[in-house]
Amino acid sequence: MKNMTFEPLRWQEDPVRVTVFDDPEHPQAYFQVTAPRDMGRICKGRPVEELPRILTMMSPAHHLVSAMALDRLFGVEPPPMALNMRQALLQTHVFRHHLRKLYFLISSRQNPFQIHRKGGSRGAIQLFPPHFLDEIMHHEALSQEAATILGGRCDHPLSAVTGGVSRFLKEGYYHRLSEIAQFCLAFANRLSEFFRDAVFGDGKLLDGFQNLRIEPMASLTLSKKDGNVVLTDSLGKEKDRFTPDMMFKKIDIYTASWTREPFACIQGSSENPGGKTGDMFHSEFPVPNPHFLFVGPLARLNSREALESSLAEEERQRLIEALGPFPHFGVVAAYWALVVELLQAAEKMNGLYVEEKLTGPAIRTIPSEIGEIGFAALESPQGLIYHHYRTDKRGIVEEIEILGTRTVNNALRCLLTQKAVESAPFREQAVKETQNRIEISLLPF
Amino acid sequence: MSDFEPKIIAFLCNWCAYVAADTAGIARYKQKPNVRVIRVLCTGMVDPSYVLKAFAAGADGVLVGGCHPGDCHYISGNFKAMRRAPLLNKLLEEMGVESGRFRLEWIAASDAPQYAELVNRMSDEVRSLGPFSPSIIE
Amino acid sequence: MPNKKLAIFTATGCRACENAILDIHYQVSSLARFADIAFWPYVSGSQWKDLEAEDRLDVCFFSGAIRTGADREAALKLREKSRIMVACGACAAFGGMPGLINLPQGSTERGQLQQTTDKGQQSPEDGKPELPPLEPGVSALSQIVKVDYFVPGCPPTQNFLWAAIQSLVCNGQSPARISFAAARLPEAISQAIASGILPPGGTLFAGEKAVCASCSRVKEEKRFDAYKRPYEAYESSGRCLLEQGLVCQGITTREGCGGLCTAVGQPCRGCFGKAEAVFDPGAKMVSAIGSTFDSEDAAEISALVDDFVDLAGTFYRYTLPTQCALLSKPSKD
Repeated sequence: MKNMTFEPLRWQEDPVRVTVFDDPEHPQAYFQVTAPRDMGRICKGRPVEELPRILTMMSPAHHLVSAMALDRLFGVEPPPMALNMRQALLQTHVFRHHLRKLYFLISSRQNPFQIHRKGGSRGAIQLFPPHFLDEIMHHEALSQEAATILGGRCDHPLSAVTGGVSRFLKEGYYHRLSEIAQFCLAFANRLSEFFRDAVFGDGKLLDGFQNLRIEPMASLTLSKKDGNVVLTDSLGKEKDRFTPDMMFKKIDIYTASWTREPFACIQGSSENPGGKTGDMFHSEFPVPNPHFLFVGPLARLNSREALESSLAEEERQRLIEALGPFPHFGVVAAYWALVVELLQAAEKMNGLYVEEKLTGPAIRTIPSEIGEIGFAALESPQGLIYHHYRTDKRGIVEEIEILGTRTVNNALRCLLTQKAVESAPFREQAVKETQNRIEISLLPF
Repeated sequence: MSDFEPKIIAFLCNWCAYVAADTAGIARYKQKPNVRVIRVLCTGMVDPSYVLKAFAAGADGVLVGGCHPGDCHYISGNFKAMRRAPLLNKLLEEMGVESGRFRLEWIAASDAPQYAELVNRMSDEVRSLGPFSPSIIE
Repeated sequence: MPNKKLAIFTATGCRACENAILDIHYQVSSLARFADIAFWPYVSGSQWKDLEAEDRLDVCFFSGAIRTGADREAALKLREKSRIMVACGACAAFGGMPGLINLPQGSTERGQLQQTTDKGQQSPEDGKPELPPLEPGVSALSQIVKVDYFVPGCPPTQNFLWAAIQSLVCNGQSPARISFAAARLPEAISQAIASGILPPGGTLFAGEKAVCASCSRVKEEKRFDAYKRPYEAYESSGRCLLEQGLVCQGITTREGCGGLCTAVGQPCRGCFGKAEAVFDPGAKMVSAIGSTFDSEDAAEISALVDDFVDLAGTFYRYTLPTQCALLSKPSKD
């Protein structure tokens, strides 16, 4: 029995590795997160208003949801301009995040650095137009500029604070922002066309992944209508709807011995049609058949709500035509979900980067007292996230609970890795290809 | 624990506290031998960095002694020390330095017996707190 | 001139530093004119055996703090292979925000080893793969291996990343204009970059003065009569934040970012590390804030100080493992 280790993994935000105990009949793949997050220890004892700046380390969306939780803790309602600015910042980061993932996907087939290498690509067969990757990067840079204007800094934004945002935008930025929004929307359109051709036209981009999917799994999303958390079962039907503060009463967290990241499971023993847990979880958890769930762009589309943005909705319909109705659990659908949301984010950016929306008399509401509990949920680019804080009278953090996408999607990534390894042809010889297979299948989640 | 002899660093101002310490020595007041004196011109020049460095270098206690407020040779130097001390104390406590290890005291030049008593009191207090070792994680 | 061989790696942290490198310019692909990116797991999928197959690398940009045994090994491996090791970002340079776990959690834990494993995490059973061991605390890169250059910031700003790349990888030969990159570097360093010489070892790609030198806010007279927490009311633009009663660490922090956070109405938290002339950033902040109090009455001052919260976690937010005089270990220099 030969063991394989794939470390480090490409495109993963967290330090991860995959260990495969390779039995030719029955390989067992373990997706291991090798370092803990420690966010509890970092945040306890800190003044609660510092949390948006600390938790931005997890992702820009965590910065925003932290500010929302502070609004609730301090009992303030941000002024409309601040809400618009925060939403604009979120959509910019959705655009940037999804665009980067698609860049990575395309770069798996065409080395972005090949073109400039001395004596590099001349004569080699190009799958895609030669400067396409540079164009993607160009629009990545544009969205980065917009994120910096709105958030103060790009990757670790600053501007969301208790009760609103931290400063007014300067005059000159409105014009630039609407320019950027137009460029981004135009490019999102081109990219969606390109993606459809590359995947379903000559089929080169995701060749070999058409049938790679996990067993149907429940998903968690945030309802746009009432702000409640929605649990959709593996058949695509709504199973439960609850206010965000009930999150840890509905979701249980379990740890396994071979990964530093815990797992999220649905509480209770409701049936899980079609769901199958991998062998890796046997004997690890106290419950016999843990019901996992996942979040993310695909989960959001699995909730089967029609989209408000017209171009994105058209794209979603094309997805349904090509792959069938939702729910979907496959790699191809997951990538296509990124494209749909890219269009949606670009359209929303165009709607929000408008002077009327981003101006106003006040940037934030000043609180008059500190409450005890703050919580908020948000759909981050990577999926639903939830923050819950408890502070003392002076606003020092005593207790903090965060449900991040790394935890909720942990099970999905483990099960998908297992599927990718099982279906990899000649995996013992083709180690690089097996690794590639794992990486490409994990990327859109 | 009974063998433990605390090391206390004392920053004493040249014009008042140092004179008191000198006098106490000449008059042979009984003093515990745990204090090592560093003469400074004014408590106002004792930067919090010196205090931190003393603890980091192995001191178990730090004393800063200066003129009574209003009597500073440089008029307002001791007020500067007074303004820093509570904040410094707070920072030290957060980093694991228990209250009582760092003291800011006013000692007039004629206060020799009080100085000796302070030294003894502080040595006992720090001795009962035990040796200080920063919680550096190795 | 042969291309330089480049490695880019993150230990434990986030991916903001590597994304910052990807984002330095939309034509990041043109880096390929100067460098062969021999080891970039995040973007190219390089594996450790690819590194072992390499003879020698020229420059390694290492981000992230050292939290596990795997991080330590990675630092040692990359140091062995690379001629030049660059600590990229606050985590690698100073320990970063993960370093806050090194703070004593309460006086009872002083001197004891902190509990580092999550509750419920046992050692793996048979048949399950192992995990790299956790280190007892967080260390910065310079506490594990010798580091040649530092690019501070969380994440580093575009201009200094460019300056580091131009200086170390392109030897000053890239076509991009140097003036943008070297705007706030000390003169000797920017001249070295322009002439293609390597700056002296141990250089930080940042300025020397404090952030106040480049902050755009108006400084008048410094007086603290009331301490404010950032959720309270203050002017978001215009007057210096320290003067308005907020704790802003610009006064002890190395400049170079151009006052990014203060421009957005947020007090500085010190992600560029301490300024050149500072021994300990916490002590300096105590001194700076203390000097702005007006009172001569001990009771008044005590009452004012009572309002301050979490001094250690704020003053040493990014730099606890390396720059806190009391709680840091020495670097490998």
